[in-house]
Amino acid sequence: MYIELMQYSVLLMAFSMVAAKRFSALVTLFALQSFLLFLLTFSEAAKNGSTRLYIVAGLILAIKVIAIPAFLSRITKKIKVPDGMGLYVNTTLSIFIAALITLLSYYFIRNFLPAMDKEAGAALIISLSVTLIGLFIMIFRIKALAQVVGLLIMENGIFLAGASITDGIPFFVEIAVSFDVFVAVMILGVFVYRINSLFTHIDVDKLNELKG
Amino acid sequence: MVTLSGQIIAAVFSFLLCVRAAGGVPLEVLNFFYIDGLSAFFLLLIAVSSMATAFYSLWYFKNDENTGFYYFLFNIFVFSMYFVVTVNNLGMMWMAVEITTLASAFLVGYRNNKTAVEAAWKYVIICSVGITLALFGIILFYYTASSQTGLRNLNWTELNAAGKFLDPMVVKAALIFIIIGFGTKAGLAPMHNWLPDAHSQAPTPISALLSGVLLKASFYAIIRFVIIASKSVGFSFCGNILGLFGIISLAVAAFFMLVQKDIKRLLAYSSVEHMGIVSLGFYFGGKAGIFGALFHAFNHALAKSLMFFSSGVIIKKYGTNNMHQIKGALEVLPFAASAAFLGMFAIAGLPPFSIFMSEFTVLYAGFKNGFYYSSSALLIFLAIIFGALLFHFSSMLYGKKPANMSASKESAGITALFGVMLLFLLALGFHIPDFLRTLIGAASNVIFGVE
Repeated sequence: MYIELMQYSVLLMAFSMVAAKRFSALVTLFALQSFLLFLLTFSEAAKNGSTRLYIVAGLILAIKVIAIPAFLSRITKKIKVPDGMGLYVNTTLSIFIAALITLLSYYFIRNFLPAMDKEAGAALIISLSVTLIGLFIMIFRIKALAQVVGLLIMENGIFLAGASITDGIPFFVEIAVSFDVFVAVMILGVFVYRINSLFTHIDVDKLNELKG
Repeated sequence: MVTLSGQIIAAVFSFLLCVRAAGGVPLEVLNFFYIDGLSAFFLLLIAVSSMATAFYSLWYFKNDENTGFYYFLFNIFVFSMYFVVTVNNLGMMWMAVEITTLASAFLVGYRNNKTAVEAAWKYVIICSVGITLALFGIILFYYTASSQTGLRNLNWTELNAAGKFLDPMVVKAALIFIIIGFGTKAGLAPMHNWLPDAHSQAPTPISALLSGVLLKASFYAIIRFVIIASKSVGFSFCGNILGLFGIISLAVAAFFMLVQKDIKRLLAYSSVEHMGIVSLGFYFGGKAGIFGALFHAFNHALAKSLMFFSSGVIIKKYGTNNMHQIKGALEVLPFAASAAFLGMFAIAGLPPFSIFMSEFTVLYAGFKNGFYYSSSALLIFLAIIFGALLFHFSSMLYGKKPANMSASKESAGITALFGVMLLFLLALGFHIPDFLRTLIGAASNVIFGVE
C-alpha cells in the first residue's frame, strides 16, 4: 500500500516540477523526488535484507539527493543568472500537457501490455509518465540548466520502472548507470559554464547559429 | 605517436580476434566479453578507422601544442567503442554507448568557440535523451525475460536463448524505444539533428570518427536487440521500423544536401543517407540485404573517413568550411583535391568503387524480395544525392583559384594515407577478399541465428 503511495508521490513531484517557475524550486523538488526513490529502494532492501539494494539506496542518497542538487545550486550561484527558468508555455498549460502525457502513457501501456498485472502496470504508467514529463521539461524550458534537470527526471522515471516492474535491474548495471548519470551531469555542468562565459546567458533558444 | 602506436596495437589485437571469430565459434572471456562474428566484423571496422584517424590526427595537430587532452579523450572514445561491440551484458553495452557520448563531448567542443560549444551542447543533450529512452526499452526487455523465463541478468547470450519465450507485445513496445533511442545516436532521421552540428564543429579527425564508426557502433546496439526481438515478433516487424527510418533518412539527407553551403555539413548529411541505406538493407532482409547492409557499413566507414580527411586538408588551406568560398582546389592542392573528387564518386556509389557493390546488393535484395516502391525511392534519392554531390564538388575543385593563394606541397604521409584508402575502396569494388567475406558471413549467421 505505502509503496503505491510513494510511486504516486513520485508522479506528483513530477507535476510540481512542471509547475515550478524558479530553478531553485526545480532543484529542491528533484532532490525530493530522488529522496522518494531512495525510500522506495530502502524499504525494499529492508524487506529482503539484501545488501545490494542497500548499496543502491545509498548510491541514490549520495548522488541524486545530495551531490547533484548541491552541484546544481553551486553552478546557479556562480554564474549569476536570474532564477527564473523561462517558460515557453505557461504553468497552467504545462500542467494540462503533463496530465495529457499521463493519459497517453496510460493508453500506451494498456494497449501494448494488456497482460501485465495491475500493480506493475500502474507502476509502469507512472514511470513512463515521469520519463516523458522530464522530456517535456527539457523541450519547453529555456534555460540550459533546466534541460539538465529534465534529463535527470527522465532517469528517475526509468529508475522507477527498473525498480518496480522487475525486482531491480542487475546490480552492477545499476551502479554503472548511477555513475554514468553523475559523470553526465558533471560534463553538462562544465558546458553550462562555457555557454555562460561565451554567450553571457544560458538560454538555449538563443543557441541557434547552426542550422540547415 | 604514442596514440598511434597504441591504436595500431589495439587494431592488431582486433584483427587476431576477427580471425578467431571468423571461424564461427564465439569467444567468451571472463563471462564478461563475448565476441562472435557480428562483434568481430564491427571490431574490424573500428580498428581500421581509428588507426587511420590516429595517423591523420598527427598531421592535423602538427602545429598545435598541448594536444595531450585531445589524445587522452581520443583514446577513451575509441576504447569505449571497442567496449560497445565486445561486451556481453546489454546494460554494460548501454553504458559504453553513453561513455562514447561523454568522451566525445569535449572533442566536439574542442575549439571552444560559440558554435563549437553550441554543437557540443546539442550533441550531449540529444544523444543523452535518446540513450535514456533506449534504457527504458532495455528495462522492458529485462521485465519480459525475467517474468517469462526467470532470467536474472542482462547477458545477450542468455536473453537471445530465451528469445522465443518473450512476450511479443512487450518486445514490440521495447523495440520501439530501443530503435528510437539508439537510432538517435546512429544518425537516423528524424532524430539526426545533432549530427550535422557535431560533425561540422568537431576537429576533422573527430568528424571522421563520428561518421565512420560512432554511428555504426550505435547501429550495432540496435542489431543486437533486433536479433533477440526477431525470435519473438519476427524479423519483418523489426525490419519495417528500420525501413521507415531508413526512407525518412534518405529523404531528409537528399533535401539538405541539395541546399547545403558548408562542406562538412554536406558530408554529415551524406552519413545520414548512408545510415539510411544500411537500415534499408535490414528492411529488405534476406541474405543479400543483410550482407549488403554490413558491407555497406564497412565501405562507408572507409569512404567517409577519406572524404573528411581530404576535405580537412582543403579546409585548412582555405580557412573556411563554406563551399562558395572554395574555388580551384585542384590547382592549389592537386593531390588532396583529386582524392576528394574520387572519394566523392565513391560515396555517391559509382562503379568501380566498393560502395557501388554494396548499394547494388541492397537494391538487388529490395527488388528480389518485392519491395518495389522503397527500392525505387532509394534509386531516386541516390540520383538526387549524386547530383548534389557532383554540383557542390565540381564548383569547389574547378574554377579559378583565389589570386593570393599558391599551390602548396602536400605532406607525403597524408598523400600515402589517401592513396592506400583509395586503393582499398577500388580493390574491394572488384573483389571481396575471402577473409572479409567469411567475416561478414559469420556476422550475418549471428543475425539469422545460424549455429
